[in-house]
Amino acid sequence: MSFLSFLSQPVSLSHYLIVGAVLFVCGIVCMATKRNAIGVLMGVELVLNGAAVNFVAFSSPFLRADSQLSLGLDGHLITLFIIVLAAAEAAVALAIALCYYNTHATIDVDEGDELKG
Amino acid sequence: MTFYELVQNSLRDSLGTSIPAFAPELLLCATIVMLLLGRMFSGGRSNLAYVIMMVGCLAAFVVAWRTDAPEKPVEIFTGMLVHDSFALFMRRLLLLFVILFTSFTRLSGTPDRQTATEFYTLILGATLGMCLMVSANHMLIVFLGIEMASVPSYALVGVIKERRVSAEAALKFAVFGGGAAGVMLYGISLLVGTLGTAHLPTMSVRLAELLGSSAGSEYHPILVLAGLMIMVGFAFKLSAVPFHFWTPDVFEGATAEVAAFLSIASKAAALALLLRVTLGLGHVPSTLDTPTTVPVRYAVSEDAGTATAESASVSGLVTDSNAALLPARQYSAWLIALFAAVTCTFGNLAAYGQDNMKRLLAYSTIAHAGYMLMPVAAAILLAGTDPEASRFTVAAIGFYIAVYLFMNLGAFALVAFLRNELGSEQLPDYAGLARRSPGFVICAAVVMFSLVGLPPLAGFAAKFAIFAQTYEAGLLSLVVIGVLNTLFSLFYYLRVVKTMVLDPEPEGRPAPTIRIWSNAGFYCALIAVLLVALGVFWNPLFAEAQFAASMLLP
Repeated sequence: MSFLSFLSQPVSLSHYLIVGAVLFVCGIVCMATKRNAIGVLMGVELVLNGAAVNFVAFSSPFLRADSQLSLGLDGHLITLFIIVLAAAEAAVALAIALCYYNTHATIDVDEGDELKG
Repeated sequence: MTFYELVQNSLRDSLGTSIPAFAPELLLCATIVMLLLGRMFSGGRSNLAYVIMMVGCLAAFVVAWRTDAPEKPVEIFTGMLVHDSFALFMRRLLLLFVILFTSFTRLSGTPDRQTATEFYTLILGATLGMCLMVSANHMLIVFLGIEMASVPSYALVGVIKERRVSAEAALKFAVFGGGAAGVMLYGISLLVGTLGTAHLPTMSVRLAELLGSSAGSEYHPILVLAGLMIMVGFAFKLSAVPFHFWTPDVFEGATAEVAAFLSIASKAAALALLLRVTLGLGHVPSTLDTPTTVPVRYAVSEDAGTATAESASVSGLVTDSNAALLPARQYSAWLIALFAAVTCTFGNLAAYGQDNMKRLLAYSTIAHAGYMLMPVAAAILLAGTDPEASRFTVAAIGFYIAVYLFMNLGAFALVAFLRNELGSEQLPDYAGLARRSPGFVICAAVVMFSLVGLPPLAGFAAKFAIFAQTYEAGLLSLVVIGVLNTLFSLFYYLRVVKTMVLDPEPEGRPAPTIRIWSNAGFYCALIAVLLVALGVFWNPLFAEAQFAASMLLP
């Protein structure tokens, strides 16, 4: 029942954090279960976006009772950097996936078993 | 304050303080641009890329060498970076490494003329990220530095496009690396959000308030979780067990040159960053030296209670705050000590059965990451009780990193030069090399014995220093584990030397000769001589490392 009462409360910081946590967990599950390299990379993007949602929520002065603890501009800046970094990382990772496809004719990560950690 | 004054102040701060302290990095940026422009004119036919790279790195190193350390730590770029002797020491080491590395790639010929521009551009990009890591003072720079160092590394591993194993190694590295960075970023978001600031010294003040107050206990689970997640990112960068699994695969798939870069520069920068974050969060600075000429950042926070005012009110109570931070220090120290013990034991045990030299060196890298984590735990524990001893421990770590740089560069140079001669990186193919290239094998033996830590080589002095400081912090069990591991490691390093010296030459092998007076032989001899010299005359380098550590824990 506590979850339902949570739904009836006014929107606060914790609601945003729950969205971030759900994104994070989805991303981790996606990374752990997908066999397609593109799917795994999408999981990484979800994790990064979960963190970005957290930063945006933490930087709002209205969501916290104690507005001293809001991150302010720092949080927004970090979020912008996350967006840029996620794009850069996706570009490099997709290029590597393409290179992998050229040599293996598949992007199934389980097919890469020539190196045994 | 008028707009004019604002511009004046920020100009004065940038041009007067920040830009001069940041000049080596700016020179690296300029070198990247020159490399890309040079490619347009030369079309990859000449040695232009190598020349530009060498000149740029030398210029950056000279500038870093001539930069004087400030009297006390100075925050630059509105508190994003800190300019102190530790950052300067680590940046000089990194730039020296890049110079040695560039001449090594030139001798081994691995980026050929066609790929040299891309290769060197990626190396410089990663180095730039590492320079940011070692001077980070803000959680944004912590994450940005790690990503700037990682993303070019993924591409470097796959730089030879036709090899199947290279592509596989690069994909594994990119996927695991992206995942670890994501988890770390989520941990940072939780920590930063709970503490309400991303500026490291201010974070330690807030953390002390939170841990000191009775209401703070409800935040403990989230702080523990955030610490664990951030540690995942660090463990991945340092290849600590259980986040080490990428290391052997990536080292085997990448060329020996790239493996050397990943094994040395990336480890050194990650270790320095780990020290910065853990010591920064575990110690409240007695004086927050905030640049008064920069109102931009602090004017914003003035409404919300300034960081400076807060720290001023706290500075009288620093001792109390440092006592309040005891749980934070203990938590991070025990976590790191656990990682250290497991990592060095696993690395040494797994290195036994390896026949591929690059895999063997990968496990050796993992083991050394374990040794290097031990004094980090010691430094954190000592930070609360005896800052002087803690600084001495950091000096020991700095010395170890410097020695490790030469040892591992030597080891990977041997692998690369032998690959060029033999066309193989398998240990059995090295059999009987001593008959034809005795000088080269002596250099190899020096490097291997130094990696074990036998006296009178530099590896011994470095290992002795870190074990002594770990003992000083009361972590006797860690020292015992470390010494036992050193004994284990003797066998597989000796096996390399034994194969080269005692085993008979295989039938029908093309006779490889690496004369000591050839360029490659001379390079290895230089490193071997350095290792012997540093093992005997370690004082100057150690004094330099002690000066580097003297400004930590202000």
